[in-house]
Amino acid sequence: MENEYFLRVRNVSKTFPSVKALDNVSFSVKTGEVHALIGENGAGKSTLIKILAGVYEPDPGAHIEIEGEVIGKLNPITSVRHGISIIFQDFSLFANLTVAENIAISSSLQQGSTLVDWKNMRQIARKAIDYLGVDIPLDSRLGNLSIAKQQLVAIARSLASNAKMIIMDEPTSALSKGEVDILFKIIRNLQADGISVVFVSHKLEELFEVCETFTILRDGKYIGDYPAREMDNSKLISLMVGRSVSYDRLEAKAIGETILEVQNLTKAGNFKDISFQLHRGEILGITGLVGSGRTEMVHALFGLNKPDNGTILLNGSPVDFATPSDAVAAGIAFVPENRALEGLVLRQNMRDNITLAVLDQLTNSLKLIDQKRLLNEAEKWIKEINVRPAVPDMPAGQFSGGNAQRIVIGKWLATHPKILIIDEPTNGIDVGAKAEIHRLMRQLADDGMAIIMISSELPEVLAISDRVLVMRRGRINGEFMGSQINSESIMNKAFLADNKVG
Amino acid sequence: MKEWMKTKEFMILMIVIAVFLIISIGNPTAFLTTGNIFDIVKSNLVLAIAAMGMLPIILTGGIDVSVGALMGVASVMSAYFMIHVSDNIALGFLAGALSGILFGAVNGAFIAFMKMPPIVATLGTLSIYQGLMNFITNGNWITNIPAGFVEFGKTYLFDLVPVQFIFLIVMVALTWWLLKYTYWGRGVFAIGGNIISAERIGFNVKRLQFMLYMFIGFVSGIAGVVRTSIFGQVDPKVFTGFELKVIGAVVVGGASTSGGYGSVLGTLLGVVLMGLLENGMILLKIPTFWQKIFIGSVILFAVTADILRAKRAEAKRIKVDVA
Ligand SMILES: Nc1ncnc2c1ncn2[C@@H]1O[C@H](COP(=O)(O)OP(=O)(O)OP(=O)(O)O)[C@@H](O)[C@H]1O
Ligand SMILES: [Mg+2]
Repeated sequence: MENEYFLRVRNVSKTFPSVKALDNVSFSVKTGEVHALIGENGAGKSTLIKILAGVYEPDPGAHIEIEGEVIGKLNPITSVRHGISIIFQDFSLFANLTVAENIAISSSLQQGSTLVDWKNMRQIARKAIDYLGVDIPLDSRLGNLSIAKQQLVAIARSLASNAKMIIMDEPTSALSKGEVDILFKIIRNLQADGISVVFVSHKLEELFEVCETFTILRDGKYIGDYPAREMDNSKLISLMVGRSVSYDRLEAKAIGETILEVQNLTKAGNFKDISFQLHRGEILGITGLVGSGRTEMVHALFGLNKPDNGTILLNGSPVDFATPSDAVAAGIAFVPENRALEGLVLRQNMRDNITLAVLDQLTNSLKLIDQKRLLNEAEKWIKEINVRPAVPDMPAGQFSGGNAQRIVIGKWLATHPKILIIDEPTNGIDVGAKAEIHRLMRQLADDGMAIIMISSELPEVLAISDRVLVMRRGRINGEFMGSQINSESIMNKAFLADNKVG
Repeated sequence: MKEWMKTKEFMILMIVIAVFLIISIGNPTAFLTTGNIFDIVKSNLVLAIAAMGMLPIILTGGIDVSVGALMGVASVMSAYFMIHVSDNIALGFLAGALSGILFGAVNGAFIAFMKMPPIVATLGTLSIYQGLMNFITNGNWITNIPAGFVEFGKTYLFDLVPVQFIFLIVMVALTWWLLKYTYWGRGVFAIGGNIISAERIGFNVKRLQFMLYMFIGFVSGIAGVVRTSIFGQVDPKVFTGFELKVIGAVVVGGASTSGGYGSVLGTLLGVVLMGLLENGMILLKIPTFWQKIFIGSVILFAVTADILRAKRAEAKRIKVDVA
């Protein structure tokens, strides 16, 4: 008889030395179901997934049942053998290997072979790629592919290992809208073939598009399972955070004089004819599709990407940053999009990470590091950005994805920049905390900071931008202020060329 | 440009050819003789074998600076074995290989199971193995190698190919096969690409790392005994500083020091290049200190080129389609 449930898990707890990440959690997934696993940053989603992957061992007493069979212990090999396949937040692929090997290696490994059958590997890879109906050359090095294609390779790898349940940890955070649509189409095909998909994401709108059931975790505890049709955004959010959250529009107190002016900035292949002004106390939102040149453009303001042409004026005088440290010295801070990877020394503790960029200011009269001031400074920002757990000594690598992001933000705020450039400020940050980050940004602006915020999330752009630039294919395609800022006009400018309508 | 012309190996080959031409023009009478070419081959054969052990380690992003000491200890052990226990040639090689494996396993245990950084662990054992070797030999040469073995070392196949060449070919073929056709070898590449992912998809990373350091022990053991067969004696000091050459050859051969990229062919070309440079500088009568400075610069250049290449590849990926 077919099992109604592919996976049934009960009494799963996981205790780390510093926290209880999971506390008696249950989790059941039906065969052929698309299931959302949601919760705030640090709620325990990734930990639960890693237990199912056999990466972490749960505390004793956990009950795990796959297709009706009670499983004693999982390790990475047996987990795959039971049909569980995980696409981790970072994909866990190998940039130095070919597409074919990336797809086939785990299934071959799982068969316990010691010798490599290259022909068979290619066949396995071919089959999976054909199933997805995408065009990716088997022999190219994975590292040469775009993020979206790498994502597809990760899915192909799951298929190749005959996955019956594919778990995706925040799969859409690096994808554009069009790419997300392709992903969803593939998910529906998988579902039609009886494969269960578990989807972890902070983007609730997307989850409503594909998921049938929501499982909610809060502080490591199981809150419940809810069918999608009985849910809406605000119900989900209040279950996740235990209170209701709204995106209030936060208005600027006072906008001051021009601090940064950009004139005709151009870089071949990146962006063209970019001109705008930034004022003290202002939050300038820059939006547009992923790949519209936003990130490349702000890289140029930070000395990371040398423009071919154009002028950058800081306080009225032209500047030319050769390196990011020049930009930092001039009072500019840049919080990159890919924070977990770019911004942290994972083995060092949170305290040292937050104060890394300001060490030279935290010295005593002997020019040695003043540990007490360092701790004070770190604790101030830990509180300000609300990192959980608020343990300054915990290594950065042990924080959940979203909390690691906050640490990077804290690190840059600690430099007291005059201009803050922040790329996707709430990427990977849970809905409750988004509003907190927005309030913090507004507070900083009110205290006189000028902020450039790149964001793909329209509600966010609408909530806190004083002015919005919309980029399309490397150019500024529209500019909106105050009451002109609304989703319709922004979407129009993001998707359509200037002169076309409809 | 054809795809294969863009590979690192092709670039290194071009450099090898250029260096070859420069030296031939600079000193044609001494360089282009069969005797000299055979000298180059013979004196770099041991280096090439040892590099086969180093390549997989560098591919995982690790390093073994004790390789010279491993070779030294293994050749001393095998020499004593042949002198005092049995003069059987095969057993002599076996003794060298086994002691190499044993000492390599010590390195592997520290690195894989105690999670010690490879540079620290092997730096420590480098000193221990060297001390051990000096203790056993009193720093003296071992010259009473059994005659049968010395004779064996002078054998030529078809009156042309030195017997040591066979060892080189076997070790190269073995390493190539292991890297390409076993999951151990693919695991080496996987670890070099992304160690966490390698663990997640089920590679036994600890065991694999442990075996890597045993493998270089094995290879160094063979290389050490091969050297004994060439010179008919063991000089316990000759391997001091040899690690620079071995690591240098692998890196100059295009292997990335951060792991993941590199090949057997590239490493062989790296050995040839290093060998040619060394020989060429001697023939061109360049003072020793300049030779050292030059070799060091070549290694730094190779590493720099690798880093720049990686950066450029990264930059190429953030391209935007501008209207
Ligand atoms: N290796 C570890 N050592 C110690 N604590 C850990 C470790 N991994 C996770 N934790 C802690 O366990 C808790 C749950 O983390 P987890 O990564 O599961 O959260 P999450 O729900 O995935 O959050 P996010 O949405 O931010 O990714 C956090 O408090 C985190 O700091
Ligand atoms: Mg997570």
